[in-house]
Amino acid sequence: MWQQIELALSQSARRVLFQLASFLPGLLALLLAVIVFTAFGALIAGLLRRILASIKFDERLARNPIAAISDWAPSHSPSLLFTRAVFWAFVVIGCLIGISAFDASYANNTQVSFFLVPYLTHSVGAIILLIFGNVVARFLARSVLIGAVNAKLQYARFLSLGVKWLVQVLTAAMILDHLEIGGTVVDLAFGILFGGIVLALALAIGMGFRDIVSRSLERSSDRIPNIDPLPGDPDYKSPTEPLRHF
Amino acid sequence: MATTHTNITSAAEAYTPEPGSLLVSLTPLPPETFETALTNLALAFPGQNVLVATPDTVPQLSSGGPLRLLQYTPSAPSTSPWILTAADYFNTFKLAQEHNASACLLLGSESHSLQPEAIRALAAAVPAADLAVACYNLGPREGLLNSAILYPVTRALFCASPRFPLSIDIGFSPRMTERLSIAAQRFTSADQDDAILWPISEAAVANYTISEIDIGPRTFAQPSDDLNTILTEVAGSLFSDVDAKAVFWQRARALQPFRKVASGPVTPATAADIAPMLETFSLAYTNLQEIWSLVLPPNSLLGLKRLSLMGAENFSMPDALWTRIVYDFILAYRLRTINRGHLLGALTPLYLAWVASHLILVNSGTAPETHIQQLAATFENDKPYLVSRWRWPDRFTP
Repeated sequence: MWQQIELALSQSARRVLFQLASFLPGLLALLLAVIVFTAFGALIAGLLRRILASIKFDERLARNPIAAISDWAPSHSPSLLFTRAVFWAFVVIGCLIGISAFDASYANNTQVSFFLVPYLTHSVGAIILLIFGNVVARFLARSVLIGAVNAKLQYARFLSLGVKWLVQVLTAAMILDHLEIGGTVVDLAFGILFGGIVLALALAIGMGFRDIVSRSLERSSDRIPNIDPLPGDPDYKSPTEPLRHF
Repeated sequence: MATTHTNITSAAEAYTPEPGSLLVSLTPLPPETFETALTNLALAFPGQNVLVATPDTVPQLSSGGPLRLLQYTPSAPSTSPWILTAADYFNTFKLAQEHNASACLLLGSESHSLQPEAIRALAAAVPAADLAVACYNLGPREGLLNSAILYPVTRALFCASPRFPLSIDIGFSPRMTERLSIAAQRFTSADQDDAILWPISEAAVANYTISEIDIGPRTFAQPSDDLNTILTEVAGSLFSDVDAKAVFWQRARALQPFRKVASGPVTPATAADIAPMLETFSLAYTNLQEIWSLVLPPNSLLGLKRLSLMGAENFSMPDALWTRIVYDFILAYRLRTINRGHLLGALTPLYLAWVASHLILVNSGTAPETHIQQLAATFENDKPYLVSRWRWPDRFTP
């Protein structure tokens, strides 16, 4: 019996080591492809930067009033934009080649590549979603904060945080759904959390506006009809000119 | 480039335009005021042959009258009646080119309220100067954005002393018309017909002569948008223009002479005017610190902290602090430190703090125009700070 246990253990260990041995070359091929193409991209980007600087690319583009690319380039340098785009293009190509090499390193009948390679691509999508979601969340939060402050809303920061968390919760739910993690549990939790945040925001806005509405109603009920106080009256207020900013 | 300040009476009596050589371009007017505008123009140029172009329906005038009316369809529509836009300049250029006008007057909204002497003086200035802009007789509670930002920045960077850089009544020579149309076409070809142009800076960069004419009383159309929208539109356009003309204003130039300040009765601002602005600033100080810290250096933030601790009675924003704030926001606009819409939104509470400080100062007895001229001088004296930060934005500045 001990021999059979030993045999089973050695066979399973051999299988796992075999799988690992099959897996490692693919992984190394992926890493090598990314590193080589990143280095190549850095070299090409450096050469391109020198060439563009020598032909005064930024100055030539700045003289063209139609081209608005200088407005969007980092540090107003279109050549920096192009070189960075070239560098990251090489990194992406390296990743694609590496993933393809990783996939090709397995035999056709293995199950690992069937699940792992699509999952890698989904992971890339999830990372893009994460970056995009965070950027949108910060942008919207700042827009709401500035708008609420200029509208003299006392709970401006609360509104801003609420919007930021709404977008981030939505982003997290989309990422988990994209990676097929959690299934219906994530959907349900997201629905409850999102609905709760929206309800809390709606209550806060409603409670805040309650005072404004009641003050407005009081003003309309206390209004004295058709009688303007004359200069001698105690209620008389001298008219002031409005402020005109423009 | 020379700037002259002209009194209405003497210039108006001397002017006699050549027949058919003056083009007066009007912006759309309501029918009841259009007749008044035509009457004023007829009185301004008695017996002269003047072409008046308008997008409104032209009434039948008796033959032999001094005015030749021309109804035109604007090639670029303008939808902002309270200000002259790129579309207005472009349309005027097209008309001047078609009718071979030797001088142009572009009169903004509510032009029926202009006195005939003022119109005549504006036209009289053009043969001698490439650009004639109006100087308005505004009260201390009017034109605050111009007093706070537009005038000091234009005077300091472009060395031009006209009090109202965004004047809506302008006279220009053919070459000035052409230059403005080139600037306008950049916007109209990109479907930005409502973009704002800055004639003073265009004339300064081209080394054209600028003249300023006292217009006297006039009514103005007020923008229907809220302050935040107006500030974003006007200040954003100015900052963009400053960015585009950086090569010009970074060269050292002579400071402008101090303008004569006329004193007059001042209606004191009430607490009802000032308190909301102070509340907005206080709320913004609590909530927008992290945004301001991306744009302003530590010294300016310290100045704002001191300001936030001041009471309403002694609230006073030093001119040096406001100057640095405006310059740092211009720089941040150029560097896109944060989104430009957010940047200008964050400027609004600071501008309101300046307005409150200005009104409190006026209430205490200081003549408003004296304060504005001192502020403009501070902008001029601190110009090296902007030049230095523009060239070396990464250098640490306390």
